[in-house]
Amino acid sequence: MRYGIYLVPAAIVLTLGSLACKPPKTAEQIKAETQAAFNEGVQAFKDGKARETNPYVNDKENPHKMQGWYDGWDTAKADKAAADKAAADKAAADQAAADKAAADAKAAAEEAARKAAEAEKAAAFRKAADAALKTIHFDYDKSEIKEKDRAVLQSIADFMKAFPAAKLEIEGHCDERGTNEYNLALGNKRAAAALAYLKTLGVDETRFTTISYGKEKPLCTEAKEACWSQNRRGEFKLK
Amino acid sequence: MPRSFIRTLLCALAVSGLFAQQTEVVLSATSSAKLVLAMTSPKVVGLDEATVGTEFTAVLRRDLDETGVIAMLQERLPADAAPVKAWKEAGAQWLLNTRFSRAANGDLQLEASALDTAAEKSVFTRTYNANRIVPLRHLAHYLADDLVGRLTGEKGVASSRIVFVRQLSPGVKEIFQVDRDGAGLLQLTRHGSLTLSPTVASDGRLAYVTYKGGAPEIWGQRRRDGPHEKLYPLSGAGGMVSTPVWSPDGKRLAFVQGDRRGNSDIMVLDLLTGRARRLTDGNGISTEPSWNPQGTQIAFTSDREGGPQVFLMQDDGSNLRRLTGEGLYNASPAWSPNGAMVAYVSRFEGKFDLFVYKLGEGKAYQITTGVSTSESPAWSPDERRLVFTSNRFGSSQLFTTDLSGRQIVRLTELSACQSPRWLRGR
Repeated sequence: MRYGIYLVPAAIVLTLGSLACKPPKTAEQIKAETQAAFNEGVQAFKDGKARETNPYVNDKENPHKMQGWYDGWDTAKADKAAADKAAADKAAADQAAADKAAADAKAAAEEAARKAAEAEKAAAFRKAADAALKTIHFDYDKSEIKEKDRAVLQSIADFMKAFPAAKLEIEGHCDERGTNEYNLALGNKRAAAALAYLKTLGVDETRFTTISYGKEKPLCTEAKEACWSQNRRGEFKLK
Repeated sequence: MPRSFIRTLLCALAVSGLFAQQTEVVLSATSSAKLVLAMTSPKVVGLDEATVGTEFTAVLRRDLDETGVIAMLQERLPADAAPVKAWKEAGAQWLLNTRFSRAANGDLQLEASALDTAAEKSVFTRTYNANRIVPLRHLAHYLADDLVGRLTGEKGVASSRIVFVRQLSPGVKEIFQVDRDGAGLLQLTRHGSLTLSPTVASDGRLAYVTYKGGAPEIWGQRRRDGPHEKLYPLSGAGGMVSTPVWSPDGKRLAFVQGDRRGNSDIMVLDLLTGRARRLTDGNGISTEPSWNPQGTQIAFTSDREGGPQVFLMQDDGSNLRRLTGEGLYNASPAWSPNGAMVAYVSRFEGKFDLFVYKLGEGKAYQITTGVSTSESPAWSPDERRLVFTSNRFGSSQLFTTDLSGRQIVRLTELSACQSPRWLRGR
């Protein structure tokens, strides 16, 4: 019995102690509570609640819940922002692609139209060139422009005026009679005569080059006038 | 009417005359101005006698016959072993003996000696050594050249060669070379383009015009055996350039430049400085320059007085005077190597013929007679013959003629040839 007097205070101490110090939570519990608070935070964000509505803000006992809730709310917000941004980006990209496709289609159409126009222009140019660039002829050892070739040169001048970008090479040729070298000089004289005549018709002479082939490139090689007269010629070639 | 009859008769005579020259090889033996030479059959040790016959003896006979100073005795020949007196009685002034032997290493030796049949003494002895790659025909050429040298004081031209232009396909012409006897054809350019007007300097450098870049340019060799490179224009467009001709010292090139007003002028390009100087005055066509052997004067063709005529001037363009008087078309002057003559072509009745103007006499002599067209005369280095082109057998081919016009020889059977130039081979 002499120890009985200690029982009462001991019981009191134990009782009070057990009241004052609740047993500490385990790590698992904290983790689970944090996750729960996190989920609540996520849900709170999804429900449109403000961040200030964190129910654990005053729960000094469970700071991990407060933090968990905030983390949940922040993560949900960040996810939403990212999703929104991705959606916005995608929309923008889709729009850009659509714009580009439209622009490409337009450009292609324009290009096709331009090409068609160009081809048409080129065809017209070729046709006009074929029609205008006829060969002129000369008398033996002469370089004077013949009366009957004036119309040919007029057509060539008209062609040059109709196509201001066109450039021509005037070739002077001779028949087989006479020396190779003298005929080279004579061919030059013939090309120059054609150039001078075209100049009088108002075409800029810088658009022409002249070249002589003398008797080195005959069209026909028989030794008779019918052949020689074909060879004494001026040809006009596009450059 | 009678005039055309006479012309026909003349043509017929000319044709028969030409025919006679083609077959009549003994013709030259009748000329008293020539030395009559007979040769015994070569003595041959160590090589095939038939080969020597075709590649040496026949070549030598033809070489000597074409020299213009030697006539080969062809008929009533005594036996090889006959005494010298017999050869003299047969008409031979010189008797040529040759002997071939082959050394152990395959090298060939030719011993040649000539005997004056009247004095019965030796007038010529010479030994030729040749390695196995020298053809026998070259030995024949060397011997012919030395015999002529012994006789005239100036080496013959049997070993000379001719450079010319040949068409390979329409619009493609290239420069070729052939030995004087028609052997040894060689293509010198491969531009695949119109390539014209070759000229060869005394040291062998070639120059010519090519259209490979579109417009004509002068190409050639700056140094002996050097690469072919562009000589003019070095920058920009030169317009029409044609007809380069080396000066005798090989330092300058006369050539022709055409302008856009139709004039063509003679220019002279100094190869060292690259500077080109105009000699004529933009008065119509001036072309076909030909230097005198001193390089102080130039003959050329000009239409300044109407049709083409041959003119002369100093190499600075001064002292211009007309050379040819008669005829409406005189062109293609070629100054002879010794300077006393100018060969040219003249047109009469639609045909072109060769003429030679003797400057000392102030007179022109007709060389060929209008059976067909003869063009582009160029002198042999010894001034005894002219090479030219003619269409007498159809397409333009190369021929040579002596100055009498009686001994015309076809050089090759190549068609479409033009612009021959004749130069020494060694």
